[in-house]
Amino acid sequence: MADFSILPLGEATTVMGDAIKGAKLEHDQIANNIANVNTPGFKTSSVDFRSALQASLGEPADPDALPLTTDDDRQFALDAATPVPYDPKAIVDDTTTMRVDQSNVDIDQQMALLSDNTSYQQTVSQLLQEQYKFFREAATEQPT
Amino acid sequence: MSYYDSVEVSASGLSAERLAMDVIANNIANANTTRTPQGGAFKRQLVIFAQKAAAPSGSDQVGASGDDDPFAPPDPFDPQNSNPAQVEGVQVLGIENDQSPDRLQFDPTNPEADARGYVHYPNVEIVKEMVDLMAASRAYQANVAAITASQNMGASSLSILKS
Repeated sequence: MADFSILPLGEATTVMGDAIKGAKLEHDQIANNIANVNTPGFKTSSVDFRSALQASLGEPADPDALPLTTDDDRQFALDAATPVPYDPKAIVDDTTTMRVDQSNVDIDQQMALLSDNTSYQQTVSQLLQEQYKFFREAATEQPT
Repeated sequence: MSYYDSVEVSASGLSAERLAMDVIANNIANANTTRTPQGGAFKRQLVIFAQKAAAPSGSDQVGASGDDDPFAPPDPFDPQNSNPAQVEGVQVLGIENDQSPDRLQFDPTNPEADARGYVHYPNVEIVKEMVDLMAASRAYQANVAAITASQNMGASSLSILKS
């Protein structure tokens, strides 16, 4: 997950807005998966918006990998991920089959994802609220 | 694009599961019906669910692809036309009859008995209907939970304004 504390104040709100947008897209897909729980042959889809968000921040995909530092402009930065525009896409998972009718909706998994996604969205909303509180304090010079 | 999109998706699931429960209730109510307007015993009915296909993103460009019929709507079941990012929920394609044979009971004195003395009872199995009813009811509850989650997410997004 992106570390919001290292970002400048204005950029943090943008990243959190993107995170909420991604959680919304993921929620749409989960709601669709749950609505189609009894549809024969239905394949679940999901939005991996967290990876898209990470890529948009130019962070390496593997957080445990040690970053190679450079101390000269002429050195090549190995594995330096370049930021890509944030555009999360829905991916259909057609590699698995759960039921005889070829559907792969696991209702327990979907409910867990739903609850996880809702908590994530509420957490980021709360963080964003705190950020705006900082803005307000700076603008009004009055601690709230 | 709003939280109401996902509520509509879940609502399509609610109405589909409710229709499934209606049909199951009808099957149970008619478990012993030997006469129907179509003649013969009642046939067990099944609801056909299908994924509601989203309108492809380029569908407003009529004739842009250079097809034979520029006004032909794009085939929603063509995998090339389905954009998984656009979700539309579930739809009921129709209610079909179960084609399995009638349940026969030898009862020659029954006025409904055929020439060989058998009464044709519907191919409805109460136990199977009960299991289907339970599955539909649980799916309904799952959709309700998804709507509640949509509401919570919308409320927490709104609370950003209140900071």
